[in-house]
Amino acid sequence: MTSNANSEPGIGHADRRWLFEGIGLTAVILALAILFILINPRFGTIANFINILTQASFIIVMAVGMTFVITSAGIDLSVGSAVAFITVVAFGFIKGGLNPLLGVALMFALGAFLGFLTGSLVAYVKIPPFITTLGMMAALRGLALVHSAGEMHFGLPTSVTYVGQGVLGGVPVPVIISLAAAVFGAWLFNRTRFGLHVRAIGGNREAARLAGVPVNRVEVMVYVLMGLFTALGGLIMMARIDSTQATIGTAMEIHVISAVIIGGTSLFGGRGSVYGSVMGALLLAMMTNALIIAGVDFFWQLVVMGGIVLIAVAISNLREQRIPALAQFMRREPSGGAESEPARGPAQKQGGTLS
Amino acid sequence: MTHEGSGALAAAKVLNVVGLTKSYGGLKAVDDVSFEVFEGEILALVGDNGAGKSTLVKALAGAQPPDGGRIEINGVSHQLNSPRDAGEAGIGCLHQGLGLVDTLNVPENVFLGRELLTRLLLVIPQLDHRQMRERTIELLSGFGISLPRLNDPVIRLSGGQRQTVAISRLLLQDVRLVVMDEPMAALGVEEGRRVLDLVRTMRDRGISIIIISHNLEHVFQLADRIAIMKNGRLIGVVRSAATTRDEVVRMITFGAAT
Ligand SMILES: Nc1ncnc2c1ncn2[C@@H]1O[C@H](COP(=O)(O)OP(=O)(O)OP(=O)(O)O)[C@@H](O)[C@H]1O
Ligand SMILES: [Mg+2]
Repeated sequence: MTSNANSEPGIGHADRRWLFEGIGLTAVILALAILFILINPRFGTIANFINILTQASFIIVMAVGMTFVITSAGIDLSVGSAVAFITVVAFGFIKGGLNPLLGVALMFALGAFLGFLTGSLVAYVKIPPFITTLGMMAALRGLALVHSAGEMHFGLPTSVTYVGQGVLGGVPVPVIISLAAAVFGAWLFNRTRFGLHVRAIGGNREAARLAGVPVNRVEVMVYVLMGLFTALGGLIMMARIDSTQATIGTAMEIHVISAVIIGGTSLFGGRGSVYGSVMGALLLAMMTNALIIAGVDFFWQLVVMGGIVLIAVAISNLREQRIPALAQFMRREPSGGAESEPARGPAQKQGGTLS
Repeated sequence: MTHEGSGALAAAKVLNVVGLTKSYGGLKAVDDVSFEVFEGEILALVGDNGAGKSTLVKALAGAQPPDGGRIEINGVSHQLNSPRDAGEAGIGCLHQGLGLVDTLNVPENVFLGRELLTRLLLVIPQLDHRQMRERTIELLSGFGISLPRLNDPVIRLSGGQRQTVAISRLLLQDVRLVVMDEPMAALGVEEGRRVLDLVRTMRDRGISIIIISHNLEHVFQLADRIAIMKNGRLIGVVRSAATTRDEVVRMITFGAAT
């Protein structure tokens, strides 16, 4: 055992390896960008890049929240429906004369409340997150439709549309907001007690509990956070197109979850990367943009997107299996006797040593 | 039940367990168990699979409150309803199967639940990674251990190294009693020996220890007294100097004392 590694100054927040993975993804994005520019120079304009960043902004915001959810070994399928529900309700109030600032506050309050509801069902009623949020997904879409079936809302005050359409120093406001959300999210994830607890309950819930982590409370907070980021994403979306309707955000959860998985966050929980999620969202937005510029039909775009997600999950799974004990634990296989190292997954009994 | 004295010294009682009971449905996993642990003592807890040892540990750890009975620490009765309660009462626990989070690195595991914080811009609390790291190195080197790659997820450490991390968790807080559930299980000879040394070092620092093991060789090497459980009941407590391995095996298997 050497201690030379101990003296290195870089204080590890998360594990360095995941950082390298983030860099790997960044390299893939850069390589693809260069490829696209070579194929079609129209792709490479500054205006188009700003366009991509703007397109990606609300997905980035929600992917930051989803990184916490998936790292905690959860999932949230309801984000798209939540966007619809939150925006149609808030839009109604703002059009009805509510102070726009209060209207925005209402969106965040709704987001937090929905997250609290979801989180409580998951943490205290012990309904698996997949089922809980599947139910929320249907219920919220239904409520949005009940609230304003077939209606299309237009005409927000400029104070609200600024969030989606404004430009600050040449940079679109939604891009600035998504960047700020990403920086905040990365800090929360890597540098705070809450972030550590999220990674802990996703890695080993029982061990975290025994260590004194308030697992249920942390889990509820994860979904509240997701709700807040969902509200922010919804706000950007609604402000950008200055409208909303009950069908907005359909299938959005697929984009958000895909971005997070492409970014290297483990579907098994325990480890994740906010930076990776941002890069994942950018990759998806860039691919969509390139396909549009290349004139690829929308249906084929979907096929390509799905392919990317499957490849990303496959890569992530192979990576997971490179950590043998973890993979073994995941598959709940008995440990093989041929291993040279002592098994360190589930508890081992030394049955033969008694007599 | 055979209660024997703690030896020549009239050492203080650190732990006094009275009539502890815990059932799972109809099964009495721990059935009216009473015993005591003295200062600076190593008490081994043995018994067959399913005897109730881990259940007893979980009650002491505050991880699973008992149905009945009393737990006194230094003469004061404590309700241990959460791991935090146990920690505050001065009990540190090492659970069967370690209780580490595989995906977290060494300092994160050591400090989980008791994180060191610093202030960002003087107001916002955030993790003090630097100090947690330095304290971890300090803690480990106090036991003559240095781990490479503190920043790696602990899943990549060897079994013995992981055990070391789990044990150093215990020493962080001001513990008077450490309860270890099979700390040597699944370890190689060398690594097992290192953990044994670690246990002795803790005892030499005045910490009382309850250790569960199926390895009677270890038990006789370490323990001052041996408590034997069977089917949830405490069969007896014997001084290891005054008994034999065969005797203990007989008690584990047949229950009867002699
Ligand atoms: N969570 C639980 N729910 C139901 N029954 C349980 C639970 N935990 C333990 N038991 C039962 O309680 C009894 C005592 O279990 P315990 O884990 O305390 O045994 P042990 O002495 O630690 O065994 P081992 O040496 O195998 O670790 C067993 O019959 C077990 O099946
Ligand atoms: Mg046990």
